Amino acid sequence: MPAVLVVHGGAWAIPEDLASASVSGVKAAACEGFSVLKKGGSALDAVEAAVRSLEDNDVFNAHGAVLNSEGEVELDAIIMDGKTLGSGAVSSVKNISNPVSLARAVMEKLQTDHMMLTSRGANLFAESIGMATICTEELVSEFERKEWEKHKNYATGIKEDFNAKAHDTVGAVAVDSTGNVACATSTGGIRNKMVGRVGDSPLICGGYADNYSGAVSCTGHGENILKVTLARTIISHMEQKPAAEASELALKYMGDRVHGAGGAIVVTPSGQWAATFTTERMAWAAVENDTLWYGLNPQE
Amino acid sequence: MRPIVVVHGGAGHIPSERAHGSMGGVCAAVKAGYSLLTAGGSSVDAVVEAVVNMEDNPHFNAGCGSVLTAGGQVEMDALVMDGRDLSSGAVSAVSNITNPVKLARLVMEKTSHVCLTAGGAAVFARQMGIQEVSTESLITEYSRARWKRNQEPGANPVECQMGKMGTVGAVAVDSEGNVACATSTGGILNKMEGRVGDTPCIGSGGYADNSVGAVSTTGHGEAILKVVLARHILFHMEQGRSVEEASDLGLSHMRSRVKGLGGVVTVDAKGEWSARFSSNQMAWAAACDQTLHWGLYKGEHFTEAIVQTL
Repeated sequence: MPAVLVVHGGAWAIPEDLASASVSGVKAAACEGFSVLKKGGSALDAVEAAVRSLEDNDVFNAHGAVLNSEGEVELDAIIMDGKTLGSGAVSSVKNISNPVSLARAVMEKLQTDHMMLTSRGANLFAESIGMATICTEELVSEFERKEWEKHKNYATGIKEDFNAKAHDTVGAVAVDSTGNVACATSTGGIRNKMVGRVGDSPLICGGYADNYSGAVSCTGHGENILKVTLARTIISHMEQKPAAEASELALKYMGDRVHGAGGAIVVTPSGQWAATFTTERMAWAAVENDTLWYGLNPQE
Repeated sequence: MRPIVVVHGGAGHIPSERAHGSMGGVCAAVKAGYSLLTAGGSSVDAVVEAVVNMEDNPHFNAGCGSVLTAGGQVEMDALVMDGRDLSSGAVSAVSNITNPVKLARLVMEKTSHVCLTAGGAAVFARQMGIQEVSTESLITEYSRARWKRNQEPGANPVECQMGKMGTVGAVAVDSEGNVACATSTGGILNKMEGRVGDTPCIGSGGYADNSVGAVSTTGHGEAILKVVLARHILFHMEQGRSVEEASDLGLSHMRSRVKGLGGVVTVDAKGEWSARFSSNQMAWAAACDQTLHWGLYKGEHFTEAIVQTL
């Protein structure tokens, strides 16, 4: 079984000055995730490694995080294992550098079978497993602080920013040599969001993985993704259609039904993959058989 | 279109001394929702009214009567969804308010977001002028006694909570053929602070789409999340299955794939309804054509004419 890993760095109108850094960021993350697969690691290990690499990269919002209406950072993440449908998620968690790893700890290290922890409860759990906290300033780039000052109002923010700026979730999907699939998605959300706003990323709408059909990670306007449970919709189409067509159908449906644009990356257990988006741009990269594929604009 | 409301008061094992109260509660809730519908109210109005009715009823694990977290607190989750345009509102891990489903509706109608959590949801509730209530006022003697029992050495909280899940929910179709769903819960006994289950998650705790139908779920939250149960059932309906077949297919998939039990109430856009469960019991009630339907055990289905008081 050929192992495959695909990553995205968010679907939006990525401005020219961030374009080349976004592309090199997703390429590096794809290679990092694929090297895990090549060494015999699981799909789960690979998507976590790829998303950590994106979270650690200032270009993307997951770590170069956006600020909410109070000027704070609140992060959301999910990870899901296609073998068991086990998943872990955190929402509105503050001051940790790798929310995806905390999500994985929720999946694997809890004595209970809880799947999602939110807000202070998530931070308490991070503390209990000895995960280091970092100060808000370390999570925010200077660029973001300036942009936030300019757009303190969410309503204006969303009109001007969405499809323009300030919203890039990151994610990864992978299939390993034994045919197991996994997905992970991580985000800082939308600039000027209300305190406590939870988008699609930590929910099963923002990512889904099932060995019987495949794995998906989504990006775009979270509220719209939630309304159409985008990841689950793509997976349902994949039970009947090829991966690329399934993604296109679901993204088109989201456009028609709730006027939302976004993007998705998918893999199937047999190693088919696709990176699809209806926004102006989406930075993506994939590694298959030691070949790196990548793109930013449609048709690349 | 004939108006319909179907509600559930949770799937699982309902102790016999609680059964009567649960049955009375779901019947009262469905009547409250139905009288709004027959007076020309929307399906969203009806599901919110029915769920508020059960949140206010201490027999259910939602609002007053919610189970307690490991730390002895109350943290509630709720969701509402409007099948006309898929707009939805949810709150997770909220404390100190009587009706989380009302706050979820405000998130849907007054913000551009879909879900607010914990402290942020509390700030929003204050902005909306929702009255804060004490934690004590949400705790019943019964929920405190169960929590205490679980603090004792040798207690097995996981086993204890598996049987008794009292999430509440409702689905409705109004005279214009619009569908809606709402679900509300106190979660699971002895949960960690910040635990979020399926209830506030669109597609898991509920889903409503005029072109297919509406579902509200109850049962083992983590299992419901894994299979995105409500959306899964609607997929089967899109493929031409009846509400009952689709509900049973979804529940049996959840049982075989992730060993989870639960129950659902379902309506479709044509006005068919069902209340199905894979657990031992589910308190449910439905109202349509001036008739009240209800049941608790598998195969039970009582009916009675609804006499509307003016």
